[in-house]
Amino acid sequence: MEAGRRAMYPFASLPDNLIAFCDVLRREHGFRIGVGESHDAARALEVVPLASETAVRNALRPILTRTRNETSVFDRAFTEFFFPGPKGQEQIGTPPIRRDLEAETADGEQPPESKRSGADGVDEEAGLDAHGEVSPSRMTAAPETTEQLARVSYSPLQAEHVDAGPELAPVDAAWREAARALVHRLHLGLSRRWRQAPRGRRFDLRRTLRASVQTGGEPLVPRWLSRPRRTPRLVLLIDGSRSMDAYAGAGLQMAVAIASVTLRVDVFTFSTALRRVTREVRQAAAGAGHRLERMQYAWGGGTNIGASLHQFLGRFGERGVTRDTVVVVVSDGLDVGDPALLRDAMQALGRRSAAIVWLNPLLETPGYEPTVAGMRAALPYITTFSNVANHTDLARLSRMIRVRA
Amino acid sequence: MMDAATIQTRFRERGFIVDESFATALQIMLALEKPLLVEGPAGVGKTESAKVLADALDTRLIRLQCYEGLDAMAALYEWNYPRQMLYARLSETDRSSTEEREAHLFSEAFLLRRPLLEAITQDRSPVLLIDEVDRADEAFEAFLLEVLAEWQVTIPELGTLRARHKPFVIVTSNRTRELSDALRRRCLYLWLAYPTVEQEIEILRARVPGLSERLAHQIASMMQVLRGLALQKAPGVAESLDWAMALMSLHRDHLDARALEQTLGCVLKVHEDRGVIDAHRADLDQALNGAPAPSQPGGYSLDTDFGIGSVSTRRR
Repeated sequence: MEAGRRAMYPFASLPDNLIAFCDVLRREHGFRIGVGESHDAARALEVVPLASETAVRNALRPILTRTRNETSVFDRAFTEFFFPGPKGQEQIGTPPIRRDLEAETADGEQPPESKRSGADGVDEEAGLDAHGEVSPSRMTAAPETTEQLARVSYSPLQAEHVDAGPELAPVDAAWREAARALVHRLHLGLSRRWRQAPRGRRFDLRRTLRASVQTGGEPLVPRWLSRPRRTPRLVLLIDGSRSMDAYAGAGLQMAVAIASVTLRVDVFTFSTALRRVTREVRQAAAGAGHRLERMQYAWGGGTNIGASLHQFLGRFGERGVTRDTVVVVVSDGLDVGDPALLRDAMQALGRRSAAIVWLNPLLETPGYEPTVAGMRAALPYITTFSNVANHTDLARLSRMIRVRA
Repeated sequence: MMDAATIQTRFRERGFIVDESFATALQIMLALEKPLLVEGPAGVGKTESAKVLADALDTRLIRLQCYEGLDAMAALYEWNYPRQMLYARLSETDRSSTEEREAHLFSEAFLLRRPLLEAITQDRSPVLLIDEVDRADEAFEAFLLEVLAEWQVTIPELGTLRARHKPFVIVTSNRTRELSDALRRRCLYLWLAYPTVEQEIEILRARVPGLSERLAHQIASMMQVLRGLALQKAPGVAESLDWAMALMSLHRDHLDARALEQTLGCVLKVHEDRGVIDAHRADLDQALNGAPAPSQPGGYSLDTDFGIGSVSTRRR
């Protein structure tokens, strides 16, 4: 680092700078840096050549970051802090800011409702920065995003005359009973682990021997191991597009019913964008009625199922969908997007989940055949294809879900 | 303690090319004696780096491969029950007291050391590789935290064993599951991305002696294109090495359409990816003919090194 730049350091001494830098990361970027990390950082600076910018950067990065997303934030913050340039100008050595959906959100610790709503809501989708200008990063975005841009900026106008979405109401005992049956009947088979059990399939030599000490080395009481059951998780993806208006109420009721009997459920709504509504659904399950606002909760407008599922996979797929997850999609399959996109998303979902249940309200219509391009693309990956219009259907569904081995 | 440049040289001598950020992370890891969590796509050399590190430090590599259902006992220690049983039977006629017999029964002679205990009881700091930690379940992760924090293991029958020499720990993850914040907090973090074209050429030349310049260049630029496509299994460095070996064994000094057809199996591991390749034939041909792979437009991975050489982002 040449002397001219060094003068730009906010503080004179290295420890002060380091502490101030940690503070910036904590306050402005939401890093979780404790005293331990600052201390480690100080120790690390003792072993690297301080004259080299890259060495300092490379030394601090592993200590102060914890996820892939944080590494890129760190590099930006490092440049901004130690080499601040004139405002509004691209800084020297600053990595190009790219909003990579996966990298950005896959690692976030905060629930999306709290922090994300502002950060990646409609504003960001539209590629506008704080000054209302299209950010350069958006200009280079894939065509798919530009398409989204157009649609999102147009949708609010469409939604203006319909202010509120469907109601999230507490459900009655019949719904709850049906949901309980569903959760109860969902079997994923056995875990790979062995646990001690009163009656198991495998002889537990270790515990038997340990117990034999009490009986003078004679193994009198055999101990056993068995495999515990895998506990399933449910992920509900509910289509909130206009074509679903008449039916989606049942989907939401089902979500509330399931949420009232288990905590192992996550609920999302999607139309042009994806929104996580688990919290609202849980509140409704606890007895507090709620009305989903249209745009804010991805309700109303056309559907881009494929893009929404991709968005879901990118953001929540890593944590949200495991081999123990049963994915339930409530949608009529009337997709405005590219069927290939939907197929890819379904394939990825299928690989990661235990089962994909697709509930299509159009199945009620006599003579309906799933011939829409979107539905055709999704069909091969669906393990259970059905519909839930009321609680009897839900109870019936519990007997229909097939799980991949 | 080694500095970053020394680490780079030592690794290079062993045929493993590390960039500066990785070398510095290793240096910090050695200096701070904290575990290093390495994340990145499959096949970028996460596991290999631990092996090379052990070799470079001239110490033992102890590997704990995580898998679904791995439990504490399989990672820590087990008693050799059949032997214990046998001994108990044989010593029945002894005149020794029950206490003596029990003490002997639960002595180190009957203890089977599993990787974690092994790592703690070394005379010299070993390199402990905890591989694919994301495959183990959360319960095991919590257990691991305890060991990584305390470096001691309590065996009820023997007492507490404390590490005399802290192992150097490398934890790898393929991100199939989100790791707990607590584990991340205990570790230093490094994101290992796919190498750039230049790095990959260097790796190829270091690992596959006799590889022609042209072939190395072709393979490296093909890899850039392939990794940019939406493949289900993007090829890693391991695949490009395999590929280079395969082409060498076919006595090819350059890659053409026919050689590509013959050896595509080294690179593509999923049938569906074949379709993706066919759809992007033009890009591949361009890479074959030595033209620089289109980097910005389309769906290619931007291997911008962000000026620091370790971060790569991929466009969905």
